Amino acid sequence: MRIKQLLTVTPIVLVGLLVQAYFWVPTYEDQTAGAAQRLSKFIEASIGDAKLLNPALHADASSMKIVDKVFDTLLDFDEQLQLRGRLATRWQLTEKAYLTVLPGAALARGVVDDAAGLRAVIRSGIDSGLIEMPPGLLAGIEVLPARTLSIPAGDTGSVEVSVNAPARLQFDLRRVEQRFFERLRPVLGTDYAQQADYEAWHARVDEPLREPLLATLRERFPVFEHNPEIGFELRRGVRFHDGHAFDAGDVKFTYEAIMNPRNLSPRTADFEPIKTIEVLGPHRLRVVYKRLFSTAVNVWTAMGILPEHLLSDTVLAREMEERELGTAARDGFGMRDSRFNRNPVGTGPFRFVAWRSDELVHLRRNEQYWDGAPHYQDYFFRIIPDTLTREVEFRTGAADSYNPEPYQVARYRNDPRYRVYSSPSTGYTYIGYNNRRALFRDPRVRRALGMAINVDEIIRYVLHGEGERITGPYPKTTHFYPQDLAPLAYDPDAALRLLQEAGWLRNADGWLEKDGKIFEFNLITNNGNDKRRHILSIAQDAWKRIGVKCNTEVFEWAVFLEDFINPGDFDAVVLGWLLDINADQYQLWHSSQATPKKLNFVGYVNPRADALIEEIRLEYDTQKQIALTRELHRVVADDQPYTFLFAPRKNEVLDPKIVMVTADGGIEPLRADRRGELYFFFSRWRKLAHAPDF
Amino acid sequence: MGQYLLRNLLQRLVLLVIVSFLVHALVHLAPGEPAEVDPNNPRFKPEDVAKIRAAFHLDEPLHVQYGLWIRDLASGELRSFKDGQPVLPKIWDRFLNSLPLFVCATLIVWTLSFPTGIHAAIRRGSTYDRSTTFIAYALISIPGFFLSYLAILWVVNTFGVPVIGMHTFGNEDAPRWFRGMDRLWHLVVPSLMLAVGGVAILSRYVRTQMLEVIGQDYVRTARAKGLDENTVIYSHALRNALLPFVTMFGLMLPELVSGAVIIEQIFAWPGIGRLSFDAILARDYPVVLTVTLIAAMVTLAGTFLSDILYAVVDPRIRLS
Repeated sequence: MRIKQLLTVTPIVLVGLLVQAYFWVPTYEDQTAGAAQRLSKFIEASIGDAKLLNPALHADASSMKIVDKVFDTLLDFDEQLQLRGRLATRWQLTEKAYLTVLPGAALARGVVDDAAGLRAVIRSGIDSGLIEMPPGLLAGIEVLPARTLSIPAGDTGSVEVSVNAPARLQFDLRRVEQRFFERLRPVLGTDYAQQADYEAWHARVDEPLREPLLATLRERFPVFEHNPEIGFELRRGVRFHDGHAFDAGDVKFTYEAIMNPRNLSPRTADFEPIKTIEVLGPHRLRVVYKRLFSTAVNVWTAMGILPEHLLSDTVLAREMEERELGTAARDGFGMRDSRFNRNPVGTGPFRFVAWRSDELVHLRRNEQYWDGAPHYQDYFFRIIPDTLTREVEFRTGAADSYNPEPYQVARYRNDPRYRVYSSPSTGYTYIGYNNRRALFRDPRVRRALGMAINVDEIIRYVLHGEGERITGPYPKTTHFYPQDLAPLAYDPDAALRLLQEAGWLRNADGWLEKDGKIFEFNLITNNGNDKRRHILSIAQDAWKRIGVKCNTEVFEWAVFLEDFINPGDFDAVVLGWLLDINADQYQLWHSSQATPKKLNFVGYVNPRADALIEEIRLEYDTQKQIALTRELHRVVADDQPYTFLFAPRKNEVLDPKIVMVTADGGIEPLRADRRGELYFFFSRWRKLAHAPDF
Repeated sequence: MGQYLLRNLLQRLVLLVIVSFLVHALVHLAPGEPAEVDPNNPRFKPEDVAKIRAAFHLDEPLHVQYGLWIRDLASGELRSFKDGQPVLPKIWDRFLNSLPLFVCATLIVWTLSFPTGIHAAIRRGSTYDRSTTFIAYALISIPGFFLSYLAILWVVNTFGVPVIGMHTFGNEDAPRWFRGMDRLWHLVVPSLMLAVGGVAILSRYVRTQMLEVIGQDYVRTARAKGLDENTVIYSHALRNALLPFVTMFGLMLPELVSGAVIIEQIFAWPGIGRLSFDAILARDYPVVLTVTLIAAMVTLAGTFLSDILYAVVDPRIRLS
């Protein structure tokens, strides 16, 4: 009898106990149930966990989100994408230009006597107006005496050769002037550099060493050398989160950490153009570059400054001792292995609190932040790999924002309880044609193939409308993109006419034919990306309609890269790029990069584009640089080495209770900066208990 | 009896060693590489990969790797490839997270299955019996993950309350009572989902067992003695019907370690099932191997336990 009652009552009581808990749980509408502090927390839901919280070492988007909040950079881009000082208050671009004195070399008039003589000749050239020197450019000319030094010859470096490097003239310039040596031409003559006889600089060496040695000398002692410099004035009174004062040594240390081959930093290439960093005082330093490279200053907008006092060799050695590691672990111990990467300390608006793998990263605001503490007290980065779970957590108020999938966006757009922010991303998807192949050598053919594809339809059906058409290589949200350029129109008839012009005519079976061969090629892409796979089928179908036979295939990423992309052995590919805001697109489009394993794998070659790309690297005037990039964009768009398809839209859905605090204490709706980065104003965000009406 | 136990224990130990060999070989021979040395990752340079491989001892022959694994495991020095954290504390933490889910689901399964099953057996052929049969088979056939998604969407759309994770995120500053209730609430949906299949299956078992027992002579005798129906069913019949469930109880133990992979994945429950699932995907050998070994240990312990329990409850069985 009792057993029966027990068996009936127990499940009822158990389920009742569980279900009543519902009444104590906060809901989306009433998130403050139980605790008003919920409003001071910002919770972001992310697909992936962070990997390494170290600005010199991380290489993934999740880590970047955290690192950006914990660390400060010297500079960044402001709302209008202009450079703005952060840890640096002032920065100035100057230049030291070096001219090697070649005794006996013929000048435009006369010959070089010695360094002092050459200086006198140049000075009088400037004074007489023969050399056109803008006023205020040249601060002084110094003579650097000749030197004798030993240089390793050959690859092994076992043989040292004594070299007599001639004297040089050092020109101090108040700004970077890429045409400085061209200005000296009326005095130096046109073939001054060709008269350098490197062979006379060193003692005779044996034949196998001769050529490499000459190459080394030409590289190390160029006749004309530009050394642009950035003088940084650093912000005073800034402290790391542990209280230690920030100074110029930390900047130099950060640079050295990146360049240290032990650390395997993925940013090494960005900092390679730097020759030295000189600390001139606790808050002053000078960065000297090896050569003209106008976009070099940009790297300081993306590089968080590391604390030297927590990562220097002595500190790492101490950490190694404390952790009592095994011999194998001690052997390769470096910054990558440090505990710092899971407990970062920076100078940024948020300081690190905790990181629980696959669960969350927790940051708390830095009350002493030099730019004013953020309004939010806590920032949580939640790791929720599942798409539906992210949506559910957001809809119940357990997350404040996430990046919805394109198909979810429409649901949110039509619902007043949520707010969607959207901007084109800086990446794009394209169909790349192997420009080396005879089939695609004619730009008219590439253009016709692009015109046969209805990109708007792709955007509508594959991206659920969450994409934008683009015209060329630069991201649409940057100044580099010519907004007035119209995208390639969808016009299969015009495409057919273009192909006819190029000699392709329809045969009896309906395929295009030229010289007895039909227009047939393979279009490939990588496995694991559904959008690209859909584009494959859509393009195949679109081309079939104009009589182009296209076979499609999907490959595993490693196979795809090693067998097709790296050797350049493919007809056409569907791929995408994710870009920084950078005027420099040398790696993607310069003809020198069209060799195996380089990024210009489609083999795009255009001398005009090459010239523009090189000029962009040398041009330090922002406005001129923008004009050049827009021209480059047009040149590439004209050639259609790719069919530029679309830039996917970056969507972010937020709780409308989140607003932005204005300078006078009022509130305004959230907005993004020019490139579409919503989190740019994150420090000013605040959550209200109820959604306001704007 | 004592001798039997000792022999049995020794046999199981030998079996465990063999299992550990097999598991180690199987995990290493399976295709794929740890995520840290994935040759398909274009960001990795060959020299880095070589360095990491050496640090993980991946270049050693299998038997040496086995030795290193056992040595590190015994000394507590075994660390995950993924984040370099010691494996045993990591597994323990996740185990503690999984425990309430397991306990709650088990309680629901065992308390709910008996009344429903017994009721169905007593009223065999009634509408109640048919509908519970139908529902049970429906629940057995519908994949658990699908049902879970439906449940989540329904709860979220109807009530607007969080159901994912172990507690409402951002609720940490609420008073203790609110937090406790919140944690309890978060157990509800996942443990119900975890229990649904169990209830469906177990109540079927109960029904069958009861039907078998109800027709026995001693039940008729009990009724003939004039005992009331409840005493007949719940004291005389049920006690005998319980026997097979004792075995099932012992076999449930391994689930403690293997966890509810799918449910934990769907509900973002940081439990041991999710830990092993992620570790398998990332080929995090130390974690995969250790979890599997512990699961093997618990399985052996579970069968051992049910052997003993069986002997204890069924006087007909003698261990020798």
